[in-house]
Amino acid sequence: MKIQGKALIMGDNVNTDVLHPSRFFSLDDRTVRSGFLQAAAGYEQVGGSDLSGRVVVAGDNFGCGSSRETGARAFLLAGVRAVVARSLARIFSRNVRNLGLAAVECPALPTLPQDVEVVLDLTRGRLIVPTLSLDLALTPLDPFWVAVHQAGGLLPLLGLDEPAPRGASLPIYQGTP
Amino acid sequence: MTPRTLTEKLLRRNVAAPIVAGSDMFRIPVDLVLGHDATIALLIERFKRAGRRIWDPARCFFAADHFTPPSTPERADILRRYLTFMKEQAVPADLAFRGISHQLLVEDRRCQPGMVICGADSHTVMAGALGSFACGMGSTDILALLLTGEVVLSVPESIRIDFVGTLPDWLFGKDLALEIIRQLGEGGAVDRALEYHDLTTGGIPMESRLAIANMSVEAGATNGVFVPDATLRRYLEQRDGGAGPLPGFEGSWVIPDDGAPYVRRLRIDVGALRPLVALPGDLSRIVAAEDAEPRAVDQVFIGSCAGGRLEDLEAAARVLRGRRVAPGVRLVVTPASQAVFQACLRNGIFDVLSEAGAMITNSSCGACGGIDKGLIGAGEVCVSTSNRNFRGRMGSPDGLIYLASSLTAAAAALTGTICDPRRVLDEAQLAGFFPTPTAAPAPRAEKVA
Repeated sequence: MKIQGKALIMGDNVNTDVLHPSRFFSLDDRTVRSGFLQAAAGYEQVGGSDLSGRVVVAGDNFGCGSSRETGARAFLLAGVRAVVARSLARIFSRNVRNLGLAAVECPALPTLPQDVEVVLDLTRGRLIVPTLSLDLALTPLDPFWVAVHQAGGLLPLLGLDEPAPRGASLPIYQGTP
Repeated sequence: MTPRTLTEKLLRRNVAAPIVAGSDMFRIPVDLVLGHDATIALLIERFKRAGRRIWDPARCFFAADHFTPPSTPERADILRRYLTFMKEQAVPADLAFRGISHQLLVEDRRCQPGMVICGADSHTVMAGALGSFACGMGSTDILALLLTGEVVLSVPESIRIDFVGTLPDWLFGKDLALEIIRQLGEGGAVDRALEYHDLTTGGIPMESRLAIANMSVEAGATNGVFVPDATLRRYLEQRDGGAGPLPGFEGSWVIPDDGAPYVRRLRIDVGALRPLVALPGDLSRIVAAEDAEPRAVDQVFIGSCAGGRLEDLEAAARVLRGRRVAPGVRLVVTPASQAVFQACLRNGIFDVLSEAGAMITNSSCGACGGIDKGLIGAGEVCVSTSNRNFRGRMGSPDGLIYLASSLTAAAAALTGTICDPRRVLDEAQLAGFFPTPTAAPAPRAEKVA
């Protein structure tokens, strides 16, 4: 399986409070979506823009901090296709994978230019950057996480829910049903 | 048999089976689930779609601590949905509005050494101070847990941390936690367990241990666990009134095997440390308070699951007795639980803090998570006893948050600038003058096993 998209480059130790500030904590997906990257210095505007098909490419310990799943959900609501980081924080990586998003680690990841086109080959376990002739190894996923990804999330894997539609087509839940 | 770490022993005790062939991950039965109004509310709709009931409501330790009381109509709605969900699922509601879930957990007999505890909040790790495996997770993991009684985890390798020396009266768990993060780095313990060995003379008080275990997650750790010892035994005896362990947990005290494998070891001489502060933004810059730039502060926050216990409020009272907070500085005090609140009422700590000019709030998460009662504006400087100094955490992304012990925080409130608390204390104050805390036990062990 391959995921190709324009990279959204982020740095090291980017925490959940900057990815999704707690004031955007809500049961209303419109509020959750609007909080994406709203305390990440220099990313506020891009956070509010259409990010369909983008691949977030980050440094070490990406997503450290809180367990608030609104932070992970904001990635899906924004249309992000995948996350690749030099290393991922534990709770965050579980959260995004549980929701059906691909999140992988690439230990040799160098700093890439903003918006560069990247290809994640999840079958072969490679991160490819064609314009820079880079072809880097991804840390193999545990078979459990492969199964979660293939099922479209944790709950579908366990037979507890239908898989959520991917990316920009994710239905926006508007508060009180 | 191969020697095993404490975390390995705690988890293997509960291991059922590998979840997928070739996986390092196991379905692990859970003894207790911690939840609160914010993160449980996120899973209610999906839970209902599954059309099943909570596997064991008696194992749900659900508090209401985030939106309490609610500061907006939307938060009132979230809180109401949560309380209704608890009622529908027959989850005991005795903990709602009594304080921060993590603090309530360690004050409660339902929390015993040897347990596997998972919670819908990253600071669930704090219960590791009581010799349990305790780890935080997101709402989807917790949803699956509520339906099945199990979580899927790998068994993390451990970093062993030995505390040695004698803890000075002016040094606290927060200082030790910051020293550990300074040495390990923010992501230095990702997917690892931190195994704490208290080898100090006199012992690290239980309340400081809670602060240390609490901040294990700030180094990225899956869990942080103190090896059970005399300090823990005394704490439990006082807490449970000698009632002893819960049925099923009589023989549950687990200690690591001699010769257990550790991926890394730290040895921290607690007598050689100075009071520390974390500079704003993230946890990459941790320096001695006396070496920090003496910035003027706008707010001091003493509260949270990391710094709102009796020990913390008592330390603040030591600094502020008979004195006034610097003009224009807001001092917000949020006791971590009602037990802490009531102890402060009884032993005069609130008199001291209130006379000094503190604003004392009800027990809840409050300003720590940027929820209410003490947010900061652009350009403002806050010294906080909480666990995160991240950009925007307590309000404006352009506010600056320093983390420190409550003693250091109170010194900043008193002087109006960030400083070493030893500067503002005489010997009697350093030693403390509330000799016997009357609740939320914090005994010092005579001798640590």
